[in-house]
Amino acid sequence: MPGSPLTPCVPPNSWTPGSPQTPGSPRPPGCPRHPPGGWGVLGGAFLQAALVSGGVRAMGLCLRPLGGAFGARAGAVAWVGSAPLAALQLGGPLGSALSTRFGARPVAMIGGVLSGLGLFLGAFATHLTHLYLSVGLLAGLGWALVFTPSLGTVGRYFPTRRSLATGLVVSGASVSGLALGPLIPLLLDTYGWRGALLLLAAITFNLVAAGALLRPLPIPNESPGPPQDQPGLVGLLRHGPFLRYALAFVLVDVGYYVPFVHGAARAHEVGCDQRRVALVMAAMAGVDGGGRVVAGWLAARPATPLLRHLFVWVALTGLTALVLPLGTSFEGLLTLALTYGFCAGALVPLQFAGVAEVVGTGRLIHAIGLMQMFESFGSLLGAPFAGWLRDVTGNYTVSFLAAGAFLLAGSLLILTLPGFFQGKEGSPAPPPDDPEPPPDPPPAPPRAALDPAV
Amino acid sequence: MPAAFSGKRPGRRLLLLCLSLSLSVGSPADPTMTPQDASQSQVNSLTKMQGGLNESTPEPTTTTRTANWQTQGSPSDHLTLGHNVSIPALLRPDLTTQEFKQAAKENVSNVTFVEYEVLLPGVSGTSVEKNITLDSAAGIELSCRLDNKYSHLKSLQVTWKRGNETIRHINKTENSWSIQLWILDNSKLGSYSCTLKGEEEISAVFLLQVPKIEGREKPIISYEGDTAVMICKSFGYTPIAWTWYMTNGSEQIAINDSLLADKYVINRISASVTHLKILKLTKEDDGVYWCEAAFELGKSKGKLQLKVLSLMVPLKPFLAIVAEVVILVTIVFLYEIYSKKKEKRAGDEKEFDQVEQLKSEESNGLENSSARHRRV
Repeated sequence: MPGSPLTPCVPPNSWTPGSPQTPGSPRPPGCPRHPPGGWGVLGGAFLQAALVSGGVRAMGLCLRPLGGAFGARAGAVAWVGSAPLAALQLGGPLGSALSTRFGARPVAMIGGVLSGLGLFLGAFATHLTHLYLSVGLLAGLGWALVFTPSLGTVGRYFPTRRSLATGLVVSGASVSGLALGPLIPLLLDTYGWRGALLLLAAITFNLVAAGALLRPLPIPNESPGPPQDQPGLVGLLRHGPFLRYALAFVLVDVGYYVPFVHGAARAHEVGCDQRRVALVMAAMAGVDGGGRVVAGWLAARPATPLLRHLFVWVALTGLTALVLPLGTSFEGLLTLALTYGFCAGALVPLQFAGVAEVVGTGRLIHAIGLMQMFESFGSLLGAPFAGWLRDVTGNYTVSFLAAGAFLLAGSLLILTLPGFFQGKEGSPAPPPDDPEPPPDPPPAPPRAALDPAV
Repeated sequence: MPAAFSGKRPGRRLLLLCLSLSLSVGSPADPTMTPQDASQSQVNSLTKMQGGLNESTPEPTTTTRTANWQTQGSPSDHLTLGHNVSIPALLRPDLTTQEFKQAAKENVSNVTFVEYEVLLPGVSGTSVEKNITLDSAAGIELSCRLDNKYSHLKSLQVTWKRGNETIRHINKTENSWSIQLWILDNSKLGSYSCTLKGEEEISAVFLLQVPKIEGREKPIISYEGDTAVMICKSFGYTPIAWTWYMTNGSEQIAINDSLLADKYVINRISASVTHLKILKLTKEDDGVYWCEAAFELGKSKGKLQLKVLSLMVPLKPFLAIVAEVVILVTIVFLYEIYSKKKEKRAGDEKEFDQVEQLKSEESNGLENSSARHRRV
């Protein structure tokens, strides 16, 4: 009898052989709308997005006093800021593999301990290399172990409203970004960089609490089973649509960060004074958060073609980036920056929710991790490339045009994904939602079964 | 060539051309100056010009560069200079030679001559101020110019003053007046003013000073046992020497890094940047430090403050936050255990009810079937 505590409550949308794939079908009676602990998962994941993104950004903001204290050149110190970001993204697959094996919760909690420990050790550094190892490697690794399990768990807990849930969660990053602006200088001025790192370590330890909230999903066929990581990851590497999806976001990441990283300098270039520059950047960060929630909400309704929404937001972001060089007055630049911030924020939750559309819930965590790893190449190259273009051409026009071009290229790749043109009803069912996916899921038979026109 | 210096502002390229031509031709006044020196001085004056232009001034000003102090205008203009020895009359060849020799004696090999002009606003009561930064000996011409629209003002009495001392000036054009100065040492710096007295009084002040050094407004925070690095920069100008001072009570004591080599290290990172590294900090190192840059024309100081904290200071908030984390995690797990128990109890009750229902259905069914049997 469905719905009784004795039999598992299978969430709708999970595809089991033989049952029709009908999203939005009525829930079996008695089945809770979301598994218990859903709110906790949302809260925990929100906190984790805030702390991970905040931690990485905080490192960037602390760079100047760090450099001054060690008397190092700007280039050497910059690595302390970019190494944790690189570790976070490259460590994605590791986070996925470990959490599939041991469960999301323990891995996320350990990740919290590691990242806090990394920052703690960084506070006692006596040499720049100590900082690379502690803040860069250890904390970055810890953050990687938190990030993918959290997002994956959110995806599994909220199959019907995945994009809204993801949007709410990733908006945590915007909140922490806005809070860090005044907080980091305050910490630096009161406690110096060592004390600031110490307190950031303590704040980062809250990730352990965030991880504790990721209650394992009490559904037997989703429970973490024997090690699947090798087949799962290798299978993903052969999965055409996933590779295209990941490549799309590599391209997106090349362009995505350019306005955020170079925006302040561009505002200076067109003649804004310090106060106005700060206003433009803060406004962009603020609407970023709004965009995340709104886009998540818009795409969360049952029959929405998520991939189409994603395409629209990515394309809009690219177009805005192309038009950004036209903003030569404060008002013009502000308007364009607001538009860019909103669209850029909008695509974030849809990017993560879209992964489930492409590979299914069973391999969600793996896919997120692998995608993050691929993305790291894009994000690490993007901003320096734009900076180089600026040095070569003399202003940021070409940099922003290039960023927009990459974003649009990514959006075009999204068009090629299988679920795009057929809408949700006729889309091929994502590969089975069990933790033992066959290495080459056969999409053909379900498509034939459901879409007579093929 | 004289046309280039007729009082209208010459174009820079023309100026450079004239300058190189005039100096390469050689002149009786500079046997030691070679064309290379000339171009060097051009470069020097150009860079100093840019340094000067960095200051922001409220009123529209024009700053031109004249580097040829030999042939300026026609001799007749300058006969009015008189023989006032207080101004070096640079334009008279014999005095020029004298001044140059004096400058040469003082080891100023790349002497420049820069002109600063101020446009007077024409409104009485307001005083216009211009800051001029000088780091090494230079020849200066300060001029005050009255905008053409005010040239209707007649009978203007123009005075140039420094403090109480009046300086003889030249009428450069019919509505501009200037003085020329050799600034060779600190005593010549200060404020020079030009005053136009007619129906109203209009004045302008030129403030000649050494370059300012920037310290740090916010205190530098460091910890006991740590190393602190203090940085002082001079923007655009190269000091001859840097000295660091620490304050003990109300006096300033110079820091001798060779004497206390394991405590203080002074590094001159580049021409205009100096670092003071203090090792093995203790509470006594807390306080105010000064970095002093010595220029040819004087000294300039920047202030920095160092605060030395003990590790206990951030440790307390650290432990507080870690305690909060532990409490949060405990609450999360306790709540989960509690809610699981609640579910299990609810589940047990439901199960009990279902079993009861089944039992009653069974018994009903049995009765029905037996009833049916009986009927049949």
